[in-house]
Formats: sequence, structure tokens, C-alpha cells
Amino acid sequence: MIAFWILALLMIASAVFTVSAKKPVYSVIGLLANFVCLAGMYLELQAEFLAVIQIVVYSGAILILFVFVIALLSSGVRPFDVGPDRAPRILIPAAIVASLTLIAITVTALRTPQAIVRTPVGVTGDANAFGSVADFGVALFTTNLLPFEVTAFILMVAVIGVVLIAGDDDAVTGSRRKPRRPGKRESIVKDTVSR
Amino acid sequence: MSVAPDYYVILSAVLFSIGVVGVIARRNPLIMLMSIELLFNAANLALVTYARAWTNNAGHVFAFLVITVAAAEAAIGLAIVAVTFRRMPFVDVDEVSALKG
Amino acid sequence: MLLYLLWLLPLFGGVLLWAFGPQLKSWAGPIGAALIGVAFVATVVLWNDATAPGGLHAGLVTWLPGWSFGLQLDRLSLIWSLIITGVGFLIHVYSIGYMDGDRAFARFFAYMNFFVFAMMTLVLSDNVIGLLVGWGLVGLASYFLIGFWFEKPSAVAAARKAFVMNVVGDVGIMFAVFMIVARIQSIGYADIFAHFQQAFSPTALFLVCLGLFIGCAAKSAQIPLHTWLPDAMEGPTPVSALIHAATMVTAGVYLIARFAPLWSASADARELVGAIGGLTAIAGAILGCAQWDIKRILAYSTMSQIGYMIMGVGIGAYDAGVFHFFTHAFFKAQLFLAAGIVIHALADEQDVRRMGGLWKQMPFAFVAMLVGVLAISGVPGLSGFFSKDAVIYGALESGHPWLYAVGLVTAGITAYYMFRLLFVTFFGAYRGNVDQSDLGIRHPELAGTAASTGHRSDEEEPHHHAPAWLMSVPVGILIVPTIAIGWLDAWPGAPWRQFFAGFFPRVNEAAVAAPFSETISTVLVFVVVVAGFAIAYVRYGAPAALRDAIARLRTETVRMPAVLVNAYYFDAAYDALLVRPARVLGGWFDRFVDPHVIDAGVREVAITSQWLGHLFRSFQTGLVRAYALSIAFGVLCIVAYYAYAFAFTGSGR
Repeated sequence: MIAFWILALLMIASAVFTVSAKKPVYSVIGLLANFVCLAGMYLELQAEFLAVIQIVVYSGAILILFVFVIALLSSGVRPFDVGPDRAPRILIPAAIVASLTLIAITVTALRTPQAIVRTPVGVTGDANAFGSVADFGVALFTTNLLPFEVTAFILMVAVIGVVLIAGDDDAVTGSRRKPRRPGKRESIVKDTVSR
Repeated sequence: MSVAPDYYVILSAVLFSIGVVGVIARRNPLIMLMSIELLFNAANLALVTYARAWTNNAGHVFAFLVITVAAAEAAIGLAIVAVTFRRMPFVDVDEVSALKG
Repeated sequence: MLLYLLWLLPLFGGVLLWAFGPQLKSWAGPIGAALIGVAFVATVVLWNDATAPGGLHAGLVTWLPGWSFGLQLDRLSLIWSLIITGVGFLIHVYSIGYMDGDRAFARFFAYMNFFVFAMMTLVLSDNVIGLLVGWGLVGLASYFLIGFWFEKPSAVAAARKAFVMNVVGDVGIMFAVFMIVARIQSIGYADIFAHFQQAFSPTALFLVCLGLFIGCAAKSAQIPLHTWLPDAMEGPTPVSALIHAATMVTAGVYLIARFAPLWSASADARELVGAIGGLTAIAGAILGCAQWDIKRILAYSTMSQIGYMIMGVGIGAYDAGVFHFFTHAFFKAQLFLAAGIVIHALADEQDVRRMGGLWKQMPFAFVAMLVGVLAISGVPGLSGFFSKDAVIYGALESGHPWLYAVGLVTAGITAYYMFRLLFVTFFGAYRGNVDQSDLGIRHPELAGTAASTGHRSDEEEPHHHAPAWLMSVPVGILIVPTIAIGWLDAWPGAPWRQFFAGFFPRVNEAAVAAPFSETISTVLVFVVVVAGFAIAYVRYGAPAALRDAIARLRTETVRMPAVLVNAYYFDAAYDALLVRPARVLGGWFDRFVDPHVIDAGVREVAITSQWLGHLFRSFQTGLVRAYALSIAFGVLCIVAYYAYAFAFTGSGR
């Protein structure tokens, strides 16, 4: 109970820090804190395997990727930072939309009858072993095998996409360094982009 | 479950809203991507909460899949950022407006 | 089986000649003629089956209950089939000679065979839909053949005019067919005649007859839809002989005879049709006196004679009307073919003022023309005499003394203008080399003369060459029935009357006692005819008249009443009542509706979509964050929906 409130406060604070930090590196630090707290939250919710995944995949892999990119973009001679946001006008509608969403979800959560929220829609597996690696693995590889396979496919496509995008300097502009024969279509694409 | 699931859900909503503000208000693409990660995690929290409330580990599986997709999204997003801003003097998504009608 | 063959052979010929005309070259004519000849033989072979009670019937296809299509050959269809294939065969043979050297030799025969097919469809159909199809197809064939020489703008205009006026008639028939199908739920003649008494009130029956008669009036050139027929003479002369004299224009007579039960039941329809027929007969005859174009004289004569037929069948004297069709098909075809010989020999000269004295050069054409003139005038013993007398006396017998008087006068006028044609064309001195102004011809193209054009190949000799045997033999054959065929109906109980005895329903009226007998009527007609001949002789044929023929013709040309030259101003009236208002309306649409309504509508659509495009374009800022805001707003909407559904109604699950 106390753990929940401490973790909750830490998560909110780190999230605000992430969003409002001046430099991306600070954001990464905030996000890391957020993820670690979330992993704790997962433990609280008896999702041990997910907690581990959260630390390994998110904190270990994705955030490191962010750090690499920051390092890559900062390595040039030119200044990297955007500088302070000039009181963006879009902040106000963003805040309005976000707070309305928050209010809507909160109201929904509080006003939905507890009978509905607490009624199990179907207990799976062994209730004592809930959240364990074994329990999770059975669910993943039997009941939810197809989503698992599809996800694997998505990952593969993502890997190919990343290689294609990052591997070719001009992939974004849609042209090659040495066009074999500058066709009409290519020039149109080029014009559109350059405009 | 010592704390009512409602509180977890509200916490998830708070995190989600913060993430939304971050995506919309920031011009630095890296911070936008990180805000998106926040959104993913807020959703994951809600999924895991209800999995616990109903003792149904389909929520866990879904959270796992979301993490996977988030990884893919982050990889591609970062690749685009890296390629796009390699030649620009500064990093600002507002300068990338080729989609302008 | 033979009936199908009879029906489809001409179609086969039309398709064959149309598709392989260039390969067949000069064989196209003989092939086309031979197919029609075979069809004629088939018709003759079928005589016994057709005259059996109920006729010959052959089913084709049944579509819906009451909608069965088939062919039938009864006594009425048989008469028409004999004329179509028999006279059609002779005219085909004639055409081989007449059209020799024409560039579109094969196309001509393809159209002619197609016409025969269409006409056979019309007369062989056992239902109103098939009749309507045939009715439309003969109009189409007529359109093709009137506009056969489509290099001539006048021919194209005439073809279009004929087609449009025929469509007016088609609409009338369609109206009648719709009423029949709606009330009787069947298209077969047998069902219609069995049930129409219960299905139609007298008014409805009259409307059906009126619709049918509008079709007749258009197809058979009855007033006021007659104006296309004189113009139709722009087509080749064999076409005029076959379509616009012998067969197609008599389709109206067939239609009324076919629907005789309806006519017999509707007194109003009889009065109307009889009156229109009589009016057409006398009006056409009077116009025939004022024409100088040999084919136009014959065209108005045809119109007048069809007026007789329509009057005959209209007042209930069906066998008399059909008999007049029968004899008219022979003598009018012969007149046209003889005129064709003259025209052919004179290199397409059609103005009788520029002929004269031709009997010496063309004795054969003269004899043929003379026999035709005698027959159409009603000289006793020849075919026209019997049939015309029957029609005229039928008017008296059915209690229409006024129509009798009209028929009588028309007979005299007919004799007058036909002998006028004969005298001016064949007697006196040849005037082809006389200056046109001496004859009073100021504007040849306005005087109704078809200006000769170069549709014939140039190597042909322009003058006076003897008709080929292909042209003279059919005419020679036609002379025989022209003289003799009338004897079929020469006395009470003659073959013709027995042939149709009991076929046509009697008119449901007490027979009116005729004031005098048929013999007296015949004598009266003969007196009138002699009077007509005498006037024509004095004016054109007497030695005194022939001596100063040129001066007389000039005087007559100049003094011709304008009302006759302009054919009672029918064309002018149509122009003023229909064409010009349509043009004004069209101009108004052109100036107002098209730019301000249609174009404006299209423009407004374009402007609106452009405006919408601008509107949506403003959303496409290209700013990723703005897009993100939109997405977030969408998320808010979804969440708000669930908030409403779960939290406030509790029915989300």
C-alpha cells in the first residue's frame, strides 16, 4: 500500500521531468527512473516476468538506443539542441485535451460499479502461479500463439525497415546518389520534397 | 491486491496525459519519442492492473506484445530521426513539414 | 419449318451481302434476288397450309405467360407475303440492271434483303410486339434506302424526315400496344381478339384504334403525317417501287385489316379512319396534278391510292381495301419501274417538262407506262378498275355517301393527272434540250426536281440507251397481273371474295341499303374517269396542245397556285409549329439553361470541391505535433464515449 503511493509519486515526478527536461539526455534519465518504478509496480501486481522484461528490454535496450542516437546527433560540429521552446501556442490545446482525457478516465474508473470491475471475466491457469514465468509462457505459446507470431513478423519488418532507412543516406529524399536514368516520377518526388 | 485497481488506472491515466502533453508540446523529436514510450507504459500499466484484478494473464501477454511493438517503433523512429537530422542545422520537428498541403 | 426459312432467308441474305459485299462484287445482285425468289417459292408452297382454317402457326419462344412469340401465316399474311416476295423478287431482278455500275451495288441489295426480312417480320408475327419490331425495322430499312445515296444532302434530309415521322407513328402504336398488354395481359392476336370486348370500354377501344391509326398514318402517308413520302423519292427508283409504293407504305392497310375485329367494334374509329383516308385520297390526287417530277407525281398518286385503301379498310370494307392493295402493288410497281427505265435512260432526268416524245425512243417503257396508267385510272377490264370500284362502292354500302362522292371525284382526278403524266412524258416533241427558262423552270432544285448527281460512274452514256433485259423482263412480267389480276374480284362469288369469305368480321351495324346498285356505281365511276381523261387530253394530248407544248408548260408552271406548289403548306406549318419553336427553345436552352444551369452546376461542384480542398488543406500543416494533437483529440472522443457508456449508463458491457 505504501509502496504503491511512493512508486506512484515517483512515476509522476519522473514522467513530468522526462517531458519537461531541456536536454534529451535528462529526459532519458527521467524515463529510466519511470521504467524502474513501473517494474516495481508490476511486481506489486504479481507480474514478475513482465517486471523483468521491463528492466531488460526497456531500460536495457530501448533507452540505450536513445542514448546512442543522442550521442550520434551530438557528435557533429553544429549545435545540437533546439534551445528553449518558445512558449508554444500548441501547449494550451494539448493541456486541455490531456486533462479532459484524464478527467474522463478518472470519472470512468471511479464511477464504474465495483461489481463490474471486480468480477473476473475468466481465471486462466493456476491462480497461485499467476504471473509466474511458467504461467505466462503457457499463455503466450498456446492461447496467444498467433499474436506472438504476428509480433515476431512485425519485428522482422521493423528490422528491415531500420536497415533500409538508416543504411542509405538519401532514403529520406527518395533519390539515389547516381540515378540510372532520371525518370519523370523521380523528379516529381524530388521537387515535392525540395519544395 | 492491497490497492483498488481504480488507483492504478488513474495513475495510468495521469501518466498517459503527461505523455500526451509531451508529444504535442515538445519540438525535440527525441523527447517526443520518449513521451510516446510513456504512453505505451501507461497503457501497459492499465493492462497489467486488470490482468491482476481478474486473474487473467491475457493482459500480461498483451503488455508483452506492446513492449515488443514499442521496441520496433522506437527503432524505426530513431532511425528516421537520425537520418532526417543528420543534415539539418538543428533538431526541430516543425522544420520537417513536407506533408504540408 | 419452311415458315422459318421464309422468314429468315432475307435476313441471311442481308447479313451475307452486307458482310461479304466487296468480295461478292457483281454477284451480290443475283444472290440477293435469288434468295427473295426462293422465299417467294416457299410462300407459294405454303399456300395450302396457310389457307387451312386457322392458318399456319410456328412458335418461336415463350417469355412470360401470355408473352409467347411466334410466326403465323394466315390468309391475310399470305397475301402480303406473296406481294412482298413476288413483287420484291421482280424488283430485285430489275435492280440488278438499274443499279448496275453503282458504287454501293452490294450494299443496296443488302438493304433490300433486310427490308424484305423486316416486312416479313411485320406480316408474319402472331403478336403485337413482333408487329411493332417489324414496324420499326421497316422504318429503319426505309431510312437506309431513302438515304442510300448519302452524298446527296437532300437524300439524307429526306431519310431523316421519313424516319422522324415514322417514329411519331411508332409512338402511337406503342401506346396502343401498352394499352393492350396492360388490359389483356397477352400479346398474341388470338388472345387480343378473344378478350378485347371485355377488356376495353368503347372509349378505351377507340383510343387503342387511334394509337394504331397514328402508326398507320405515319407509315402509310396519311394526312397529316404524309409529308415524308414525296421526299422519300430521293431514294433509288426500285426502292420507291418496292418500299414506297408496293409494300411498306401499305403496312397501315395490313395493320387495320389485321385488327379488323377492333375496327368492326368501334364505330368512331371507322368514321375517323374512313374520313382521313378519303381526305388523303383526294388531297394527294390534287397535289399529283401540280407536280412536274415524274417520281413525285407517282408518290402523290401512291398517297392517294393508299388513301383509298385506308378508306376501304377503315369503313369496314376490308376485302375491298386489301384487294386494292393487291392490285395497286402490281400496277404501281410497274409504273415506278417504267418511270425508272425512263429516268435511267435520260441519265437521271426526272422533270417531265424536259421529256416529251419518248414513245418513239422507248416504246417498251411507253407501253408499260400506258398499261399502268390505264390500270390506275380504272379503265374497265384492268386491275385498278375492279379494286377501286369495290372500295368506292364499299363506302356507299357502309353508309358513307360523302366518302363515296370523294372517292368518285378522286377517281376522275386520278385519271386526269395520270394521263397528264403520260402525255407530257411520251407525246409531242423531245424537250430535253430546250432551255429551262423557256419551260418556266426557274429554280430546278426548288421545283422539286431531284438534281441529278454524279452517283453513277462517269463512263456510262448519258442518253437514250435501251434498257437491259434485266430491267424490261420484270416490267413485262408485271404487265400481266396489272391487266388481268382484277378479274379475281370481278363478279359476286369471285375467287377473291371466297378467299376472304368469313375471314373478316362483319361490322356490327345493320347494313344500310345502298341507294343504287354496284353496276350504276361502276358506270358513274367510268363517266368520271372519262371526264378526267378528256380534260387531260385537251390540255396535254390533243394535237393543238402538243404543238405549242413548251409555251403551255411555261404558262402552267408560272401560274401554278402556290398552295399546290407548297403542298398545302404542310411542311411550312410543321416548320412554324414544331421546328421553329423547337429551335427557339433550343436557343433558349443554349443561351440560358446550358450556361447558367448545367455549366453553372458543374462549375459549382468544382468550386465547392476546390473550397473544401482549401479548407482541408489548412489542416495539413505539415507539423507533426498538430497531427499528434488531432490524434489525441480522437483518443479523447473514444474515451469520452466509454466514460459515458460505463460511468453514466452502466450499460457498457
